[in-house]
Amino acid sequence: MIARALILRPLLREKTRTALTILGIAVGVAVVVAIQLANQSALRAFRESVDAIAGRANYQIVGEAGPLDERVLLGLRPLWNEGVRFAPVIDVEGMLEPSQQPVRILAVDLLSDLHFRDYRYARIDTGSKHESLGDYFALFQSDSVILPAPFAREHGLGVGLGRGSRLNVSVLGRRASLVVRGILEAEGPATAFNGNILVCDIATAQRHFGLLGKLSRIDLLVPEEREQRVLSRIVLPPGARIERPSRRNERVEKMLRAFRVNLFALAGVALLVGMFLVYNTVLISILRRRRDVGVLKTVGTAPRQIFGAFLAEGLVFGLAGSVLGIALGYGLASAILRVVGRTINTLYVTSQPEAIMLTPGTIATGVAVGTILSLLSALQPALEASRVRPTAMIRPGLQQRVGHPRRLAALAAGCFIAAAFISRLPPVSGIAVAGYVAVLCVVAGFSLLAPAIVRTTSRLASPLLDRTFGIVGRLAAASLPASLRRTSVASAALSLATGMMVAVALMVGSFRETVRIWVDQTVSSDLWLRPAKGLANAQVALFPPVVGDELRKVEFIEAIDRVRGRDIIYGDTIVSVGSGELEVAARYGNLPMIAPRSSAEALRNALRRNGVVVSESFALKFGKEVGDAITIPGHATAFPITGIYRDYSNDRGVVVMDRALFMRTFDDHNINTIVVYLKRGVPMEYARRELERRFGPRFGAFVVTNGEIKREVMKIFDQTFLITYALLGVAIVVAVLGIINTLAALILERTRELALLRVGGLSTGELRTMIVLESTLLGMASTVAGLVMGYVLSWILIYVINKQSFGWTINFHTPTALIAASLAVTLLASALAGLVPARMAQRIDIASAMKTE
Amino acid sequence: MHISLQHVGHDYGPSDESAPVHVLDDVSLEIQSGDFAVLMGASGSGKSTLLNLIGAVDRPTRGRVFLGDAETSAFDESRLTALRRTSIGFIFQFFNLIPTLTVFENVAFPLSLARRPKREIAERVGEVLGRVGLTHRATHYPNELSGGEMQRVAIGRAVIHRPPLILADEPTGNLDSKNGALILDLIREVHQSLKPTIVMATHSERAAAMGDYVVQVTDGRVSR
Repeated sequence: MIARALILRPLLREKTRTALTILGIAVGVAVVVAIQLANQSALRAFRESVDAIAGRANYQIVGEAGPLDERVLLGLRPLWNEGVRFAPVIDVEGMLEPSQQPVRILAVDLLSDLHFRDYRYARIDTGSKHESLGDYFALFQSDSVILPAPFAREHGLGVGLGRGSRLNVSVLGRRASLVVRGILEAEGPATAFNGNILVCDIATAQRHFGLLGKLSRIDLLVPEEREQRVLSRIVLPPGARIERPSRRNERVEKMLRAFRVNLFALAGVALLVGMFLVYNTVLISILRRRRDVGVLKTVGTAPRQIFGAFLAEGLVFGLAGSVLGIALGYGLASAILRVVGRTINTLYVTSQPEAIMLTPGTIATGVAVGTILSLLSALQPALEASRVRPTAMIRPGLQQRVGHPRRLAALAAGCFIAAAFISRLPPVSGIAVAGYVAVLCVVAGFSLLAPAIVRTTSRLASPLLDRTFGIVGRLAAASLPASLRRTSVASAALSLATGMMVAVALMVGSFRETVRIWVDQTVSSDLWLRPAKGLANAQVALFPPVVGDELRKVEFIEAIDRVRGRDIIYGDTIVSVGSGELEVAARYGNLPMIAPRSSAEALRNALRRNGVVVSESFALKFGKEVGDAITIPGHATAFPITGIYRDYSNDRGVVVMDRALFMRTFDDHNINTIVVYLKRGVPMEYARRELERRFGPRFGAFVVTNGEIKREVMKIFDQTFLITYALLGVAIVVAVLGIINTLAALILERTRELALLRVGGLSTGELRTMIVLESTLLGMASTVAGLVMGYVLSWILIYVINKQSFGWTINFHTPTALIAASLAVTLLASALAGLVPARMAQRIDIASAMKTE
Repeated sequence: MHISLQHVGHDYGPSDESAPVHVLDDVSLEIQSGDFAVLMGASGSGKSTLLNLIGAVDRPTRGRVFLGDAETSAFDESRLTALRRTSIGFIFQFFNLIPTLTVFENVAFPLSLARRPKREIAERVGEVLGRVGLTHRATHYPNELSGGEMQRVAIGRAVIHRPPLILADEPTGNLDSKNGALILDLIREVHQSLKPTIVMATHSERAAAMGDYVVQVTDGRVSR
């Protein structure tokens, strides 16, 4: 009954405020749920593909730095009698030609593979009208390929009496024309990579794609009871390892961890702002019902009943907000998925995002997050209501009580000092935990200062408002400090949202400027020759080695730098090894260095000493310095590090070596990209046309200019950070809801006072002006505090969180226009937020309002 | 200011569920300019509603209300606001001062709304505060005053713009007898010096004795 009297009925009566609070929490929960769903979906596709391809294998032998020698299979033969089954696999990425659509090629021994994967053939091209066991032999022909049925339908491909469709693919720089001779039902491995997969016999792949004698891996089926004994008997060549198939997922997830944690941290901002909203709502409920609480206590209601009632209010908000939030989040996830998926694809691994799936786990997370945080927010005000004596509740003025300014300032200073110390702590397993804690300390510090900020802003603005708006302005300036406890919480919430917005704008702006300068410096060549149009296919599309020799004969080319890269397993993660012609890069290029200062010196040293230069993120992640050495799996010799350079192309870490050393190390002669330096005076457009004419048809080459590359990099950068801005925009929306909510509560509380002003002759227009001025002042106080907070937070983001998560050095830069625009939008939004409560105030029935008390 | 109510009726709560409560029923009343009329009646008899209708705070459900020559019952909200701002002063039982404004600012409120020059405001507020004996409290806030002082501020605010009509709703109802007497003296003094029309609702016989005549309000009807 107490809950009904104190909570439920008032909640139903004050529908707008109830709805605003629920919406605030819902938006916070929605963002968290959406990020979780989008992340899950983007990676589930990858995980499921790995599982589908792995089939029943419980172990795999993989090459850490490249393909395996197929002779490893010979060593496994004696284990056959022990019940161990093994299957050679080639699992590589390729492109369909001419569409350049990415596709996965799974090449297996179609006979022995039946132990591992189930293939259900929908159709097989037998070459005759009569089906027999022998029909399957058609699949072993050296140009046969098998497609999943949906893929075949989508591309209009089919099988038919010896006249199967032809399919052109480009894999590892080699083109092959294959004939479709089998169609698979969409199940098992045929569903991997969203069905964009081609299956063929292993001999076919080895022959067409230059992989003779090589395998991507060997799948193993080891009887569980003999696992230890069998595994100990397997002798692996250098550079090979045996592991469970799930390790691959774990490595990818580890690689993505910092990216995902950062997304969640941003979503957390919206949720934190939502917490302020619940805190304020419950506090306002208590203040508005303080008389009722006082009366209930006087007639014998126990403090714990009062406590329980207000906690129940928090719970109601939490539950309702969570349910709505999960629904909203489900919708939002589809929008976010595209962006998240694109970023993961561009920066980490190829994975086609799957449809969003709302799992019980996600629902539980949403409900838990919304409910627990709402309860936590309601805890303090509920406790206060239960502890205060009845007389104090009945007496007006409780709402004025905020902590003593000096005590709050001292606590705030404590938070700032703690933040300064904590931010110096090292990361925990690659996650900048200390950075996030420092951010929370700074936010707490500014929140504690919120009452002082609101009071000071009102005092400073009062003369100006008085001069401009007369008594209406003075009333507006006076009303905020009069309800300091509520207004300061609303202001703290908006300050937090604005602060994070400014901080992220500063970080992204600084990062963008740093990358722009880096690209300008790094991309110093005239033209790039690429086998694919977009950067997204850069790893898959390859040139054969011969293209380099042909290019050298071109009369207007001064020098070329053939670039090739590959991913290798390094420790328990994945890094990239890149190669180029270091002498050319030293002479014509300008790699931005951290140590030593001269890139030419570092590159020539690497060339002379068979060494490498490494990226800053590699050096930071693995604690390497110039003079140290690194070993690459499968290679006994260590490579001395002769330089550390800045690289913002990925955060995994890059090791760069000379092309000759790379070819010796990996036996890989292919080329990803060729950097072209033109002779002096050769017009770029002419060179481009000529190169495309000579190399386009033969090698499928595209020529890209220096300017186009720079624009493409910046475009990818902007796409990557799009979601960051979107998430902060949501936090601002929640905070503005908080302002509306607080002012609406103030209107309800000041009904009689406002009616009195109306009786005294204040027009409805003046009343609206007054309330909009109040919300503008609140917005101004929050924006100013947010701006200062934003600069402090950006320092932590740039120099602690970013450095520890990604290992990048970013130069500080203020994107003035962006910050000015976002502050203007926030201020305008908070001013406009005043219109809702102003409308409520305008509707007050003066006569009824004056009657009550 | 001459007040005329013609066959005025007023209902509360005409919702779809409940039947409306008739607070005033066919009230016709004339109060001449400069009169000090006292409304007397039991609680709930309709005194405050009558004051609200005269003071343009509320509109009658039936009938017409005239202040001077103007039919206020036909005014729209903006004209009602303008009328209250310039021509009416209110004194309430619970003082109803604006908590965020000082004593000076509370008294100056009607002049500030009318955007009078600062100098004029300062002069007139100074004069009024002197008359109500609160010059020394000018910078104080309402929560720093006693009940009697708060009511004196309210009287100052009601007269500062020299309205031709002052409405007082139980002005002594929340005060002890000593302070009540002081407030009544002040209202009488205002009436004598500024000659506004005053309509005062009260329970108190002693307060009623201050007026020129008593209008009895009983169950929504009036008689003199």
